[in-house]
Amino acid sequence: MKKVFLLILMIMTVSCSSLPEKEVVGSVDLDNLQPLPTPDGHSAVPLRIAVAAVISPEGTVQSYSPLLLYLEEKLNRPVELIQRKTYLEVNDLIEHGEVDVAFVCTSAYVEGHDTFGMELLAAPQVDGKTVYNSVLIAPSSSTAKNMSDMRGKVFAFTDPISLSGRVYPTYLVHELGYTPEEFFARTFFTYSHDEAIRAVASGVADGAAVDSLVYEFAIARDPSLVDKIRVIHRSPDFGIPPVVVSPFTRPQIKADLQSLLLKMSNDPNAIDALASIGVESFVMIDDNAYNSVRELLGVIPIPDIP
Amino acid sequence: MNMQRLSQRIWDIAGGVSVRTKILGIVLGMVILLGLGVTIQARYALTATMNAQLEEQSISASRDLAARSTDPILLNDLLGLHDLLKETTANNPNIRYAFIVDNRGQIIAHTFEGGFPLDLISLNTAQAGEHHHTALIQTDEGLVWDTAVPILDGKVGTARIGLSDASVRAALSTLTAQLILTIVLVSITGVLVAVLLTWILTRPIISLANATQAVAKGDFSPRVQRWANDEIGDLAEAFNSMTEELARTDGLRKEREVLRRQLLEKVITTQEDERRRIARELHDSTSQNLTSLIVGLRVMETNCAQCASISKATDLRDVASKTLDEVHDLSMRLRPRVLDDLGLSAALERLVSEWQARYKIPVDIAIQLSERLPGDLETAIYRIIQETLTNIARHAQAKSASILVERHGDMVRAIVEDDGIGFDTNANQGERHLGLLGMRERAELLNGTVAIESSPEHGTSVFIEIPVQNEKLEASL
Repeated sequence: MKKVFLLILMIMTVSCSSLPEKEVVGSVDLDNLQPLPTPDGHSAVPLRIAVAAVISPEGTVQSYSPLLLYLEEKLNRPVELIQRKTYLEVNDLIEHGEVDVAFVCTSAYVEGHDTFGMELLAAPQVDGKTVYNSVLIAPSSSTAKNMSDMRGKVFAFTDPISLSGRVYPTYLVHELGYTPEEFFARTFFTYSHDEAIRAVASGVADGAAVDSLVYEFAIARDPSLVDKIRVIHRSPDFGIPPVVVSPFTRPQIKADLQSLLLKMSNDPNAIDALASIGVESFVMIDDNAYNSVRELLGVIPIPDIP
Repeated sequence: MNMQRLSQRIWDIAGGVSVRTKILGIVLGMVILLGLGVTIQARYALTATMNAQLEEQSISASRDLAARSTDPILLNDLLGLHDLLKETTANNPNIRYAFIVDNRGQIIAHTFEGGFPLDLISLNTAQAGEHHHTALIQTDEGLVWDTAVPILDGKVGTARIGLSDASVRAALSTLTAQLILTIVLVSITGVLVAVLLTWILTRPIISLANATQAVAKGDFSPRVQRWANDEIGDLAEAFNSMTEELARTDGLRKEREVLRRQLLEKVITTQEDERRRIARELHDSTSQNLTSLIVGLRVMETNCAQCASISKATDLRDVASKTLDEVHDLSMRLRPRVLDDLGLSAALERLVSEWQARYKIPVDIAIQLSERLPGDLETAIYRIIQETLTNIARHAQAKSASILVERHGDMVRAIVEDDGIGFDTNANQGERHLGLLGMRERAELLNGTVAIESSPEHGTSVFIEIPVQNEKLEASL
């Protein structure tokens, strides 16, 4: 009889001390639906900076955060980072004045400059140069030595209007007398250069052409990539992807920004911001630096619809 | 004290019901107790496991959502974000809601339709750098495991997913219902088994009890069946051999009793016959001779007036006359002829008048008998009353006595009372006890009874009851 009592007591104790171990933090009526409040207007109009998807959106946030914080501090106004999936979408934002300043790709600049008057603000300088290349990469296991060996393979493009990621490799295929659709077994767009590197490193693609700056930056950040991919071809120098402003950007802002960017390399506080995007300094650049690109785009035009 | 009373009460209830109910109670009690225990334990275990799973699911779904929503948020792909939320909720039916808060605290996508429960926003947050933060929220639809996961270390915003515990509750209800159904089924089976069990167990006990009652009433014929090879079977066997033995000894006893009665009857009959013969002998032969002697002596007295021996003859005649009286008296006491010739009433009246004359104690006698009774019955009543009167004379020191004899239907009843000193009816007092025993024997031979009520200072009453038609009953013995 005592044992039975003990057993009951035990069961009761166990069951009473049971759920929930977590405390309820509060209560809410899930059926009491109300309209969401409209966002408050910003106290200060932010400076809107677009960054083209050279690297993945997430990587962009991480790389550009120090620069944005630096600008916020210097300009004493909030800075908003705006990203879009494609270069053309970013160009649209610039064309309609929906962003004030943008980091764009070389071909996107040429396209923007020639169609709606996108203006150069400054150019980043890397290794003392304001040029970059398109590098053709393949998995380290691949036997390919140049583009002709890529025939019948899977090839990753970055963005439809990327100079290094699509225009140049398409030009190489064109030189061989083919279109990419004829030459490759299959192609696909990764919409950013780091994703294209990842596609080759993981073997999803047999080859890809990427921005040399992004490639070097990626190798620096993840040295293990050296074992996975190798460069089989490097393009001639092209004008580096510039910093541009919209035709709608007020001249005062343009002047302030320009002087700020140009002085950054002299400011000890800007070292982190520059290092984070792999840039030594910002320098002035002339539109003529992009003439070779214009020639290339004359051969391989940017498609109207991405 | 209370505990004792409680246990006494429990025992009263438990002891007050039949074995059948006890076994039924034990079986049902055990089944229900076990069932309830298992149900509670199973519910507890299931709840704990499922809640842990729910929390786990909530965390993994939120982390997945946070990882997958990063690009759509950064690229301002609100449609993609909305599709992602829809897909997330569609993939896990436990997800009650999902929404994304941007880094300015604005909700940029959610799965509620037609509005948003604004109170929900502040109930859970995740700090930048936190892996996740889970909170339990009480809602009108039950508990919700709400997990917040910072997107891109909180730079972009927070993903929130709430998992309803409806599935847990549903599973609990299903489990409980199934367990209760099981308990009910097991209880029914248990009751059936218990009924069978009690039937098996109590059948021999009930038959034993019935047989015992029969034996108590003097019927030694019932035998109980040995149902099982267990203790109760042994008991049944022992009972059977006991009844057999009892039946045997009872038969023997009855046989002896019959023999004893026959013997007693024979003794009494022989005694009465002998007395009657001696009395007749005394009356007919001895009295005649004495009478002749007296007559002869009287003749001798008359004829020999001058004889010197005349006085001697007169003395002899007196002696003879006295002897004649004594012979008469003796004859009368041995077997009053009047009992045979005129019946019980006359014999009793004669007995009483002689007894009064001798002992000087007044006796009130009332006899209501319309006709003669069978001879042995008359003899028995006469002898019993005679013995009673003897006892009164010897022991009672009574001042008066009364005798009532009457017939009620087939029953003759006689009551003899005195106002003497009485005696203790339980004490065995040698001769007197033997006398009383003799009275009883006489009555019992005729299937009658003799009851004696007596107490010191209150006199003695003797009740005699003998049925009239006793031939048949006698034959049955």
